[in-house]
Amino acid sequence: MTREEFIAHVEREQEALRAFLLALCCGKKDDADDLAQDALVKAYLSAAGYQDQGRFRSWLFKIAHNTFLNHKASMRTMANIEDARTEFSSFSADSSFQHQDLYLALSTLPPKERSAITLFYLTGYSIKEIATITETSEDAVKKQLSRGRDKLREQLTIEN
Amino acid sequence: MEKDKALEELFQAQKPHFDDSADFMAALTKRLDAVEFVKQHQEATIRRYKMAMVAAFVVGIITGGVTVAFMLSTPVDEPLFDFDSQIEGLRWLSENSRLIAATILSLLMMVGIFSIFTNIQDIQRMRVKLKV
Repeated sequence: MTREEFIAHVEREQEALRAFLLALCCGKKDDADDLAQDALVKAYLSAAGYQDQGRFRSWLFKIAHNTFLNHKASMRTMANIEDARTEFSSFSADSSFQHQDLYLALSTLPPKERSAITLFYLTGYSIKEIATITETSEDAVKKQLSRGRDKLREQLTIEN
Repeated sequence: MEKDKALEELFQAQKPHFDDSADFMAALTKRLDAVEFVKQHQEATIRRYKMAMVAAFVVGIITGGVTVAFMLSTPVDEPLFDFDSQIEGLRWLSENSRLIAATILSLLMMVGIFSIFTNIQDIQRMRVKLKV
């Protein structure tokens, strides 16, 4: 893949990628954009090995997901809800979001559950596709979705 | 697995829209330029390493060949070098000059081979870095 082809693909997919990472970063736009840039640079460096089968988006999401998990591992943060609430009061989230409840609820989920939930509900991927992107089994994805959904429901009920 | 409609609607309703896509792409292009620069620099370094390796190999072959040829051309029963001294240590050196020269030559060859292997490993590491 040439640089021009790569940039053309990215121009089409960057909004979806940023939305995905914004949800994973619980509304922290600067962090999400930094991760998106890192993921895109990694994708560019490994673009030579990419076989174009119309799956550029899921390939990109796979790299972004791994970049997010590596970032979380390096940060070693175990933020609880109270920490998240404090953070939310101090950063400027994406202005298009009227309510921060969803981000707040997402921040209580472990990274893998957050990824599965975001890919399922925000991006609309199937369980099989999520399993490919996150490199886990379909059963594991189902468990993550089930647990994540229960936690989100509980959290959103508390907040409302 | 069925989707939770309420959750899906919540996610879809809160889907962000980015009005800074041009800035994002400009920042990405800048980063890709930097990546290209580093890549070119690393490729140039690999080329230099390869040239140095080839030069070291050629020099090693020539000097090794010349030294071996010199050793073989001199009479076997005569020392390679003679200090013309009665001091015990220097006399011992002269008597064992062939053995000493052969040992030094072997050591140099060993160091040369070792450095070639190190260079190859460095080049492979750089290539991996370039791909990652």
